Amino acid sequence: MKTKTLISSVAGVAVLVTAAVIALQPAQAKDIKLLNVSYDPTRELYTEYNTAFAKYWKEKTKDTVTIQQSHGGSGKQARSVIDGLPADVVTLALAYDIDVIADKARLIPADWQKKLSNNSSPYTSTIVFLVRKGNPKGIKDWDDLIKPGVSVVTPNPKTSGGARWNYLAAWAYALSKNNNDEAKAKDFVAKLIKNVPVWDSGARGATTTFVQREIGDVLLAWENEAYLAVKEFGKDKFEIVTPSLSILAEPPVAVVEKAAKKHGTEEVAKAYLEYLYSDEGQDIAGKNFYRPRAEKAAAKYASQFSPVKLITIDEVFGGWRKAQKTHFDDGGVFDQIFKP
Amino acid sequence: MKKKQNMKFNRWLLAGIAGVQVSLPIFAQDADTIEALKQQIQQLDQKVRVLERKRELDQETADAKAKDAPKVSLGQNGFAFTSADTNFAIKIKGVLQVDSRTFFSDNHASAGNDGFLLRRARPIIEGTVFRDFDFLFVPDFGGSGAPSIFDAYLNYRYRPELQFRIGKFKTPVGLEQLQADQNLPFNERSLVTDLVPNRDIGAQVWGDISGGVVSYALGVFNGVGDGRNTSNVDFDDDKDFAARVFFQPFKNSNKDALRGLGAGVAGSYGTVTANANGLSSGFLSDGQQQFFAYTNGVVADGKHWRLSPQAYYYFGQFGLLGEYAVSDQEVKRGAIKRTLQNTAWQVSGQWVLTGEDASFTGIVPKHPFDPRNGDWGALQLVARYAQLDVDDDTFPLFANPAASATGAKAWSVGLNWWLNKNVRLMTSFSHTDFEGGGTGATAPGTVTAQPENVFFTRVQLAF
Repeated sequence: MKTKTLISSVAGVAVLVTAAVIALQPAQAKDIKLLNVSYDPTRELYTEYNTAFAKYWKEKTKDTVTIQQSHGGSGKQARSVIDGLPADVVTLALAYDIDVIADKARLIPADWQKKLSNNSSPYTSTIVFLVRKGNPKGIKDWDDLIKPGVSVVTPNPKTSGGARWNYLAAWAYALSKNNNDEAKAKDFVAKLIKNVPVWDSGARGATTTFVQREIGDVLLAWENEAYLAVKEFGKDKFEIVTPSLSILAEPPVAVVEKAAKKHGTEEVAKAYLEYLYSDEGQDIAGKNFYRPRAEKAAAKYASQFSPVKLITIDEVFGGWRKAQKTHFDDGGVFDQIFKP
Repeated sequence: MKKKQNMKFNRWLLAGIAGVQVSLPIFAQDADTIEALKQQIQQLDQKVRVLERKRELDQETADAKAKDAPKVSLGQNGFAFTSADTNFAIKIKGVLQVDSRTFFSDNHASAGNDGFLLRRARPIIEGTVFRDFDFLFVPDFGGSGAPSIFDAYLNYRYRPELQFRIGKFKTPVGLEQLQADQNLPFNERSLVTDLVPNRDIGAQVWGDISGGVVSYALGVFNGVGDGRNTSNVDFDDDKDFAARVFFQPFKNSNKDALRGLGAGVAGSYGTVTANANGLSSGFLSDGQQQFFAYTNGVVADGKHWRLSPQAYYYFGQFGLLGEYAVSDQEVKRGAIKRTLQNTAWQVSGQWVLTGEDASFTGIVPKHPFDPRNGDWGALQLVARYAQLDVDDDTFPLFANPAASATGAKAWSVGLNWWLNKNVRLMTSFSHTDFEGGGTGATAPGTVTAQPENVFFTRVQLAF
């Protein structure tokens, strides 16, 4: 009898306490933290976009989302995520860097590119030349970059996604000019590399080298980075030269699903990337000199970009995995022609 | 600063070269030469800039590498070696407790119980491997027995809400039993501890939900008798199940007066087949003297369950902790079998005289002991009342009523001086009245022959 009474009392207390806990836990708005691990020149884009998304999410869910940004060379950032940087989303310079995270760390599903439209690339860009005002070396196209005495600034393809786009754009130009002769393309890029005095690890570092340290005659730059430099430092100091041929760069985005699940941020992380495709997201991309995918925003910002013939990585190099293996993996073509 | 000086020097050097070299063509009126020298200056300027930038990048690389280097730290929480990404860590800690016990008006047959003792001497090694796997290893070189392993387990953290632990660790039943030794308000735990399991070997799933608003643990263990520690092997084929749920509904709220409120319930269930190891080896008083023992030949045989509602409340300098435990066990002597139900409860309170916050995890002095600067640490006043009741059906068949007590009531008061987070001096006095017993030449008869009055001191180092 004594035992039964005790058990009943304890069970009653437990039920009451449980009910009290549930009752006293109102459906409070949550404070959510999200880490976006991105590549070098997206600082300004995501600073503006994060504010817009946080506002949108607050209105939609009442939750407060704070997005932290991490920037660096795209390849370097991918390695950091593999090594444990707790990214909820990655917004990198090229698909291969996300493939590496999927392959090596299994943090992202292998079919990540199918999760969002346009192969999970909400905006595009290309590679252009930034030269000093008056273009003292008369740089017009890729051929001018291999002339003796022309100093070319580009980051290191081993660590920078932008640098890999630069390299491949130069290679594609050389192929197109030399009837797809790979040997001549190799020779062309080797000469270009010879003209590079400093190897920064990321695109933003290369911009610093060219713009602030005043090194070099031409900066091979992301289109958005070049326009941003002109906007920030003035048209009286720099000019943009659009080459006759360049490459269509499709910076991709993905939710780091395993990490987001662990952090309990899956829903907001997915919404964060989806919102890049919204009218507002596309407009912010255009405003920051990325080429929007949506027709409306693309039309709105079309006049700020010069026309250029764009080749794609798939048609010239057979996709990123092949390009990476041939050119940038250890012992690849870049290692063969790079003589520090 | 040095870099700026170097840059200045380089600029002056260039200007010097330019000045000297430019002056010559001016005299020669040679425009081509001037142009050539301008180009030369520009080239030299670029070379200097490139060298400076390279050095800058080298410095950035060195800084980044330094960030990736393992970290070594030494502080009030012990020594720690941590990889740069914090995925691997090892911490070396320790607990040393040097006690004294002085019994007043006790039986001369208990001679030898007054004196100094090394209560606990435990190096603690804990760490993390591959980010989510934690381990703890704690041997003990103190006490009266041979050195033994107290804790040795591996814990996998899938997320704070879902963790898995396997090895030797405290069974999740008694509230005070689960409090770390170095944070106990008294030298010894209360009479309730006689009825709950100590450390056992097993596996449990556990976690803290909503940042500790709800904590739970559910495990399967070899099973130990009341108040017992397991050896490193099982004594039978049967297993015990233990579970605990503890609520701190206001833990993360801004309601200061309620944030330190916690309440829960814990229990265990298991069976033992005719084995004395499944019984308590004897109930111990605050002075760690045996005041109850089962008669030789009595064994645990059948079901054994425990239930323990428990709560604490901490607010500012004030702290209150209470728990109740019932242990219901089938025992056998010869052919006679009976179910015995023993109960115990305790309430302990504390007040931190120097203004620090009381807590379940100890006191952190606002002004660590430093008499040269007029800082004296923290003072903690503590009091406790506890009682234990042995089932009347125990006597006389399963325990000798002439020697063993049928119950005990104890009160204690104490004053603890936290010199800093790591060093504490403790004093306390405990008085225990026993019901029954009182005859015999050995314990428990010698212990229960009179009330127990014991004065404790302790010097504790914990880091």
